[in-house]
Amino acid sequence: MKAIRATMRAAVTDAWANRSAFWTQLAAMALNDIVWILFWVLFFGKVGTVAGWDRTRVLLLLAMVTTGAGVVLGLLSNARRIGQLLVNGGLDAALALPVRTLPYLLVRRVDAVNLGDVAFGIGLFLVACHPTPERAALYVLGATAGALVLVGFLVLVGSLAFFTGRSEAGDLGFQAVILLASYPVDIFSGATKALLYTAIPAAFVSAVPARLVDHVTVGDLVALIGAAAVFVALAVGTFSIGIRRYTSNSLWTRA
Amino acid sequence: MTTARTWAPVAVRSAARRAARDPGGLAVSAAFYAIVASVLSTLWRTATHSHGGVIAGYTAVQLTWYFYFAEAAVTALNPRQIEITGDDIASGAVAVDMLRPASVVGMRIATEFGRCLPRLGVCTVIGSVLAWLISGAPPRPVALLLAVPALLLAVLCNLAAQHAVAGSAFWVRDARSAWFLYQKLVFLLGAMLIPIEALPLWLHRIAEVLPFVTMAYVPARLAAGHVEPQLLLLQLGWLAVLMVAAVTVFDAGERRLQVVGG
Amino acid sequence: MRDITFSVEPGERVAYIGPNGAGKSTSIKMLTGILHPTSGSATVLGRLPWRERRALTRQIGTLFGQRSQLWFELTPRETFRMLGAIYDIDGPRLRTRVGELGALLDADELFDEPVRSLSLGQRMRCELAACLLHEPSVLFLDEPTIGLDLLAKQRFRELLVRLNGERATTIFLTSHDVSDIEQVAERVIVINHGQVIYDDRVAAMRRELLATKVVEVALSAPVTLAPMQGVIVAAATSSALQLVVDTACRPVRDVLDALLGKADVTDITVTDPPLEQVIAEIYERPRT
Repeated sequence: MKAIRATMRAAVTDAWANRSAFWTQLAAMALNDIVWILFWVLFFGKVGTVAGWDRTRVLLLLAMVTTGAGVVLGLLSNARRIGQLLVNGGLDAALALPVRTLPYLLVRRVDAVNLGDVAFGIGLFLVACHPTPERAALYVLGATAGALVLVGFLVLVGSLAFFTGRSEAGDLGFQAVILLASYPVDIFSGATKALLYTAIPAAFVSAVPARLVDHVTVGDLVALIGAAAVFVALAVGTFSIGIRRYTSNSLWTRA
Repeated sequence: MTTARTWAPVAVRSAARRAARDPGGLAVSAAFYAIVASVLSTLWRTATHSHGGVIAGYTAVQLTWYFYFAEAAVTALNPRQIEITGDDIASGAVAVDMLRPASVVGMRIATEFGRCLPRLGVCTVIGSVLAWLISGAPPRPVALLLAVPALLLAVLCNLAAQHAVAGSAFWVRDARSAWFLYQKLVFLLGAMLIPIEALPLWLHRIAEVLPFVTMAYVPARLAAGHVEPQLLLLQLGWLAVLMVAAVTVFDAGERRLQVVGG
Repeated sequence: MRDITFSVEPGERVAYIGPNGAGKSTSIKMLTGILHPTSGSATVLGRLPWRERRALTRQIGTLFGQRSQLWFELTPRETFRMLGAIYDIDGPRLRTRVGELGALLDADELFDEPVRSLSLGQRMRCELAACLLHEPSVLFLDEPTIGLDLLAKQRFRELLVRLNGERATTIFLTSHDVSDIEQVAERVIVINHGQVIYDDRVAAMRRELLATKVVEVALSAPVTLAPMQGVIVAAATSSALQLVVDTACRPVRDVLDALLGKADVTDITVTDPPLEQVIAEIYERPRT
């Protein structure tokens, strides 16, 4: 634990050290997110409501996904890179240290760009989503759970590289889940919708946490926490099996 | 300088061939395209349910074809093209291009266009199949035929504009922030996320006079079944302007490079 | 990998070499716990590396020339602080240790500069400090001098020898640079085709394997020598001659006598064959 904290502190210092890049990246990301608000404002300006979602609800969704994803991609930024780290040998450096590999890899790198998302998300919530103390607490809970689902999912698909030798599944999974979590889940129907509650848990990253802020139901709460637990467990399990496979395999050696 | 007529087709062909030989990369681009296009078309189609089936003059079927074609036009390009070009300029790698007896920017655009072609082809085919499965036949097949050259022109206009923007790296060290802004302008004003007819009137007017409409709106509108061949002329006009802009920026930049040093 | 068997005593300085594809990296990965073999065993400091990775990594140090332990934007001292937490070294002990290493490696003034502003040679000294923080008894180095200039390489090699002398740290080094082998190692293990094909003292390597000498003469006028058994003319111009002498069948003395008698010699050099040649010949030995 001490090692993980120290590593994270070093990662933050590292990202912070290049000050001008830090702020420009942060600003760029915030600007990027503002454009999304513009899109939804224009969209609902024309459309009014879609599948039971109106502008207010979608802005809450946006706040939720940018905060949760921002935390994961900003602070645990190697979660999206597990596949790449495998393929380019970055794993060996971690294996040379007396630390538990997965936690160390996750905190090893901080991406300043995505911290802009977190700031944006919180700002949006405070400005446009009627922040009361209860709602704020639910927001924090929802974003945390959503972040856990996301990090679990990313590590899971990234770990597929242990078995396929290629990192593409991880990259695609990452793009897909973020994209799908940025849109109101109820526009989908049938099989697609079911997919977003299971294999690609985009609904649990944004829609379900956002629903909780508006209206707490036991069903949603249990489902969200359950999803977080399931995906974290799957991630840890798959990664461990993958590491065992990696260390018995000479796929990546260059003599 | 050897003329573009000699080297351009060769550059395009060889780049296309090389890109086509990367089935993994193509598959990933195609998968990503399918997801983005499907999400957007689903969003807009669902929106028509609460609007008597029509939004901004488009029916659900039309919107489906619209978005599959709009996305194909944009995802065919490497999303980080401005960044890459900017980096090449900032690092001086562009100097290598300057040693060849051909226009630097022309060569780059031709090569990049070649690389886009396999992606564009694959995405258009997949998009058409998906659109047909989801919403049925294309509203006006004639218009769809026009949409194909429109796609090619859309990609060229986009590339030319991106190179004009990236050329700022000759003066400003960092073109990275430019690509963020550029991409969003294409999304909003190029009608990749919203048909321009759905924009508030004042924004609609602005979008009409900017080049971004050539990059996604034109092929999308045609695919949605509107037989408006004059849109192709619009693209050609803008293409000429954007090419001149790109060449001017690069020429000035190269001259600066020669004076200031790499 | 076919059959690699060797053992290294504490305090030894061993060079582990072989052509590309011989299995060097694979062996090091097995010894450091990153890979485990399909059959066979290895113990490092009494532990099975792949089974006791975390325990072992507390006692060994690894320096891979192409991979940096130091964080680019941070100063080495800040990286040391993080490594201190990872290796569970308490504050005072860490401070003492960093001070010692600064003196030993002559790098004290570098520890507070951001790594990105250090030259490669300076960085490598700080890398060495990083992998010695936890006072490992064995140090594994993979191509540590790659990319360094001559002076920096020299310095680095001296540091390794000093480390071994003062702290009896066992040094296990792979390198393609022959001078690394000559100046750092006492013993060399050569592998090829997944097998050990040579394992002996560095001094013996030269002496035993190639009983040849290279004789170079500068001449003021061209000369042709009568062919002598055991002497090959490697190069001949109008003003210089290079001969390779198989001292097993022709003593160098004979060659020198012949040259000085017949030719107008302005300069003579007699040298051992370059170690590269020796090693290349070993690499070419057929599989047993």
